Amino acid sequence: MTLRPSVCAPRTAFLAATRALFDRFWIFPYNQIMIDAAGRVALKGALIARQLPGAGWSYGPASSQPALEPTCLALLALRWDPGPARTYGLKFLLGAQNLNGSWPAFSGDDGEGSGLSAIAVIALINSGEMTLQIERGLTWLLSSKGRESHWLWKWKFENWDTHVRFDPNKFGWPWMPGACSWVIPTALSIIALKQAFVCCKTDQVSFRIRRGVEMLLDRACPGGGWNAGNGVVYGVPLAPHVDATATALLALHGEERSDTIDASLAWLERAAATCPAPSSLAWSILALDAYDRPIDCLADRLGALKDSSNLWDSATLAITTLALSCPVQGNVFKVVV
Amino acid sequence: MKRRSMMAGSIGLAAGAATAAPFLLPRYDEVSRPPRSRVAILHADAYSEQLEQQLMDGFKLFQFHIRGKSVLLKPNLVDFMPGADINTHPLLVVAAAQCFRRLGASSVTVGEGPGHQRDTFLVLCESGFSSQLDEQSIPFVDLNREDVVKKRLRANYTGLNHLWLPRTVLEADFIVSMPKVKTHHWSGVTLSMKNLFGVVPGVKYGWPKNILHWRGIQQSIVDICATVPVPFVIADGIAAMEGNGPLNSSSRHLGCVVLSDDPVAADATCARLMGFDPDRIPHIREAAKFLGNASTELIDQLANPVTIPETPFKVVPEFEHLWIS
Repeated sequence: MTLRPSVCAPRTAFLAATRALFDRFWIFPYNQIMIDAAGRVALKGALIARQLPGAGWSYGPASSQPALEPTCLALLALRWDPGPARTYGLKFLLGAQNLNGSWPAFSGDDGEGSGLSAIAVIALINSGEMTLQIERGLTWLLSSKGRESHWLWKWKFENWDTHVRFDPNKFGWPWMPGACSWVIPTALSIIALKQAFVCCKTDQVSFRIRRGVEMLLDRACPGGGWNAGNGVVYGVPLAPHVDATATALLALHGEERSDTIDASLAWLERAAATCPAPSSLAWSILALDAYDRPIDCLADRLGALKDSSNLWDSATLAITTLALSCPVQGNVFKVVV
Repeated sequence: MKRRSMMAGSIGLAAGAATAAPFLLPRYDEVSRPPRSRVAILHADAYSEQLEQQLMDGFKLFQFHIRGKSVLLKPNLVDFMPGADINTHPLLVVAAAQCFRRLGASSVTVGEGPGHQRDTFLVLCESGFSSQLDEQSIPFVDLNREDVVKKRLRANYTGLNHLWLPRTVLEADFIVSMPKVKTHHWSGVTLSMKNLFGVVPGVKYGWPKNILHWRGIQQSIVDICATVPVPFVIADGIAAMEGNGPLNSSSRHLGCVVLSDDPVAADATCARLMGFDPDRIPHIREAAKFLGNASTELIDQLANPVTIPETPFKVVPEFEHLWIS
């Protein structure tokens, strides 16, 4: 199934006309709200136009290789969309699941599973799908863990490979089987588990969430925030990254407030205020929204950035849509406490 | 009794041979080492507009044919740290792109897949690459998110057998590795060979590409370099880095750009310029067996000679044995 650009052309023309009309009869803030709404519709139109014939989404607009992250983020952005793009997209995602319950990182990938499989579970849960595939995905998530959780490697990291400061007893999820735990796959897996098990958590689920939370707090940078997962190397503190910090904070929402969380929130607010990249800015908006921090100025900046050519990547386009629509349509990454 | 002993002995011998074979047999498909390699050390004191002409003059020392070819420039773009010169300088990359355009390349693209920072666009903006590339209309590809193809490795030091690699990399006619001359706390140095970690896609291997660390960084470097041919190197040694690299090193003025038609020769020469013995760097030593030349006797030194510094580059204690004694 393909939604060609021609399908979107009348919609784009309609939006342009609407915008011109509101620009002429300047009635603030009513027209601003309408323009924002029109902007969101335009972003969704652009996302639909980028759907591949096989119903998934690739990263680059010129690519024909569907990938997990843009597909899931696009489905989350289109979760209220009644059109066929969402329906076919969900069907594609359900069909792409590996035999072991994980998802491939891209079409044609080996079947061992991507560290971003959690985002597929989040997409399915937020799309109202109550399927066997979610259950299989969760089972795989519960079985997947960082390599440092094995006693042998734990011993190695505790005793002689100590240049990176971390506690191997506190483990989370890896980017791919056979690797250590890292911040982003761990944060997304915690969000998936928290959203899937709002109540009635089994011991195993509670254990994995607790260990994952401990791992995130352990890997934080000394001044707050997170990078890929190396807070201190050779005794030198490393700088945090905006997107990793935002994702970790989303996963830690609802946990007992600590100095690490407060310092990270403060760091993220400062960093987001000058962040020039749409993807990182969008993740910041979603994280700060979850903690009820003001996001209007950031949303305005993101709204301005979205008109530039920076949104070539469909994952960025989708996360931008999610961030700009979160005040109206809700925050898909927010964990219910 | 004799027959039983002989059988036991044969089984023991077979088991021993099977165990030892992986260590004794060559771990590469073929020897593609050129008979001789060329390296040119160009003096360059600063990042300026003059770099383009300096590079063009340097290119004339090599006889490569670029006309009609697609060129992929692979700089080292790790992350952004204010005040720290950790990336290949954008002015050098732009100068190289302009030179290849002048030589008639059908296309010149800059590509990188940062290993730490997931938001490539953010690194591009903050490091000054974005504005420089836009100004000269030079396209950039995020190798972390490109279409990928499964490629069998042409060496097997890691035991991975294959890697998923970006189509852009595999289809480029002429890949130029453009490293920053730096020390590295896991691999000793990060030069044109280690720079190829950036072609391994994050979409498959994550941020960082941790599975390569588990399989051995030195081993991974050799496997990737055996599989992705790099016909030319432009190493940024103007402001080099020493100490706890790749991120927390400190700037050290080396004042040169190193060009070479062989990544092994380029890295061996850069190592000497840093005061290191290339034979003590495992990935250079192994690659010199089948990929390129590390010995000074097999390298034609063009432009300026190699000057070994009185004070070698600082390294973390684990790599102090690299210093030329």
